[in-house]
Amino acid sequence: MSDEAATAPVVGPEGATWSEDALIRVRGVSKVYRQGELEVPALRGVDLDLAEGEFTAMAGPSGSGKTTLLNMIGALDSPTEGAVSVAGHDVGTLDRGEAADFRLDHVGFIFQAYNLVPVLTAYENAEFTLLLRGTPKEERRERVEGLLERVGLADMMDRRPPELSGGQQQRVAIVRALATHPDIVLADEPTANLDSGTSGELLDLMQELNRKLETTFLFSTHDETVIRRARRVIRLLDGRVDRVETRDEA
Amino acid sequence: MIWRIAWRNLWRHRTRTVIMGSAVALIYGLTLVGLGINDDGHRRMLEEATAAAGGDVLVHDEGYWDTRASDRVIRRGPDVLETVRSQPGVRLAIPRVLVNGLVSTSAASSAVHLRGVDPELEARLTDPADDLVRGSFLAGERSDPIVLGARLVEKLELELGDRVVLTASDPGGELTRALFHLSGVVETGTRELDEMMGYTSIEAAREAVGMEGMLTQVGALAAEEVSVDALAAGLRTALGERADGLEVLTWREAVPEMVGFIELDDALGYLYMGILLVVVLFSITNTFLMAVMERVRELGLLNALGLRGERIGHLLLAETVLLTGLAMAAGFALGLGGHLAVDHWGISVAAWGLEEIEISGLDVADLVFYSTIDPAKWALASALVGVATVASALYPAWKAARLSPAEAMRFYE
Repeated sequence: MSDEAATAPVVGPEGATWSEDALIRVRGVSKVYRQGELEVPALRGVDLDLAEGEFTAMAGPSGSGKTTLLNMIGALDSPTEGAVSVAGHDVGTLDRGEAADFRLDHVGFIFQAYNLVPVLTAYENAEFTLLLRGTPKEERRERVEGLLERVGLADMMDRRPPELSGGQQQRVAIVRALATHPDIVLADEPTANLDSGTSGELLDLMQELNRKLETTFLFSTHDETVIRRARRVIRLLDGRVDRVETRDEA
Repeated sequence: MIWRIAWRNLWRHRTRTVIMGSAVALIYGLTLVGLGINDDGHRRMLEEATAAAGGDVLVHDEGYWDTRASDRVIRRGPDVLETVRSQPGVRLAIPRVLVNGLVSTSAASSAVHLRGVDPELEARLTDPADDLVRGSFLAGERSDPIVLGARLVEKLELELGDRVVLTASDPGGELTRALFHLSGVVETGTRELDEMMGYTSIEAAREAVGMEGMLTQVGALAAEEVSVDALAAGLRTALGERADGLEVLTWREAVPEMVGFIELDDALGYLYMGILLVVVLFSITNTFLMAVMERVRELGLLNALGLRGERIGHLLLAETVLLTGLAMAAGFALGLGGHLAVDHWGISVAAWGLEEIEISGLDVADLVFYSTIDPAKWALASALVGVATVASALYPAWKAARLSPAEAMRFYE
C-alpha cells in the first residue's frame, strides 16, 4: 500500500457489516489441507463481501491463504467449514459437474502461468469458454475478435501460445476471461511472470475493462503495482482477513 | 473442439505417438496376417485330413475303424454304395476294399496296408498317382497289378513287373494268398506310408481276400452347401433302415488327432496374439497415464474454465480413438499387404525344418501355407484390437476426469 494512496479500513475481520447486494459473500470459511496425519489450516474463519463492479486485490505473504480463498470463490475448491455465495449460488455445496458449469457461467479466470491451451491458437483459446457455452459462431467471432483487437492482438489471432510473449499470453487469457461476460474475473497473480512495463499495460487494460464493462475483478497478488491500482485491498495474514483497505479511484 | 484439441494433442509428442501407433498397427497387422495363414493352413490340413481319412464321411461295418479287423466288412457292398451315392448332399461316393496283410518276395516279407480302389473315383478326392515315381498307377492291362510304397519296394528288393505274394485273412478268418505283379512305385515322403502303403484295383483286392460283393469302406464327399455333420446324420438315418450294424463317421471322428492339433494350434495362436495384445495395451495404458501426469495442470485448467470432468475424460478417449483409427488403418494396410504377399508366394513348412512331423498320417512338411481371408475373423480381430486399445485408455481417462482442478492447478507451480 503506497503512502500517497488514500487508505482507510472500512471493515475489519470482526464485526463486519454485510451489504445486502453483495456479489460475493464469504461466511466463516475455513480450509484445512491434510498431508497424511498432518492438518494444515489454510483459511481460518474468513468473512468477506464483495460488491458488483469492484476492482479488489487480496494481498498477503505466501501461505496467507490468498489463492485458497480465490479457489473457494471460483468453485475450484470447497471450504472445510463455512459458506461461499457467488451471484446467489452457494458454491461450496456444488458437486464437480455443477461447479464446472458454475465456473463456465459466472467466473472468468486468469492464472499466473500455463494459462492457455498450448495446442490452440490465440483466437481458439479466447473462444474456448464461449464454445463450451454453445454460443453461436457469429457471436463468438464478434466478441472474440472485438476483445482481441481491444487488447492489441488483432494480428496475432492465429499464433499458438509458444509463439506469443508472456504478456501477450496474459492478454489472450484476459480476453478469454471476459468473453463470456462473467459476473466476476478471478486473477491469481496475473502479473507475477511479467516485467513491470507489461504488468502496467495489462493493469491499464483490466481497469479500463472494469470501468467500461463494469466487470468485477478480484486479484490475488504480491505485486505492489496491482495493489496500488485496486480500489479495495483485503490483507490476509495466516489464513485470516487482517484488514481491509479502501481508497478513492486509483 | 474436443476432437480438435485431441487431434493436435496427438502430435505434441510426435515420436511417442508414432511409436504407440506403430505398436498397435504392428500387432493388428500381424494378427490379420497370422489369422490368414492359420486359416489357410487349417483349411489345407482339413482337406488333407479328409483325403487321408478317405472322405468327409466314412461308412464301415461297425467297429472296423477301431479294430481294422478283416471280418468287419460291408457285406451288402453294392446296396450300401448305392444308398450313399443317392443320398442328397453326397457329391461323390467312393468304394474301397482295405486289406491288412503281408507281402512277400523270395527276398523278404513285410506288412502292408493294401487299398483296393477305383483309380478314377480316388483321383477326385486326392490322386494317389500324383505320388507315383515309377511305373503306372493301376493303368496296365494286368488283372493283378499292385503299386507299393518306395521303402517297401526297396525292402522287398522289387523291380517293376516282379511278383509279390499277398497273405491276408478273408472275412471268414481264413488265411488267403494271392499273386500280384508290381506295376508302380509311390513315394509320399512320409516314412510310415512309404513303408506300408500299397494300392491295387478294387476287383483284384476283392478276389485276393474273397470279398466278392463286399466293401470295407465307402467314403462320401459332401456337396459344398451341406455340412459334414448334417450329411453324416442323413446317412445314419438312410443306412439305418437298410443295413444294421454299420458305422458312419465324420472325418473329425475318424482322425481326432488332426482335429485336436488344429484346435490346439488355434488356441496357441490366439493365446500368443492375446499375450502380444495385452503387452501392447499395458504399454499404451502406461503411456496415456504418463500423458495425463504430464498434462495435469493443463487438464486442471480446462476443468477450471468449465470443461466438465467427464468431457476431460472424453478428450483423452478421443485422443485414443484417433490414435487407434490411424494405427488400425496402417495395420490393416500392413495386414492386407502381408496377406497378399503370403498368398502369392506362400510359406513352405519344409523351410522351417519340420520335415519329420506327421499328423494322422499326413506329412506336414508337404504343406505350403498361403493365406485366406475369413471376413468374420478379420472383423472380430479388428473389433477386438479396436475395443481393447480404446479400453486401455479408460483408466487414464477416468483419472483425468477425477482430477481436482485446485490440486491440478497447483501441480508444477
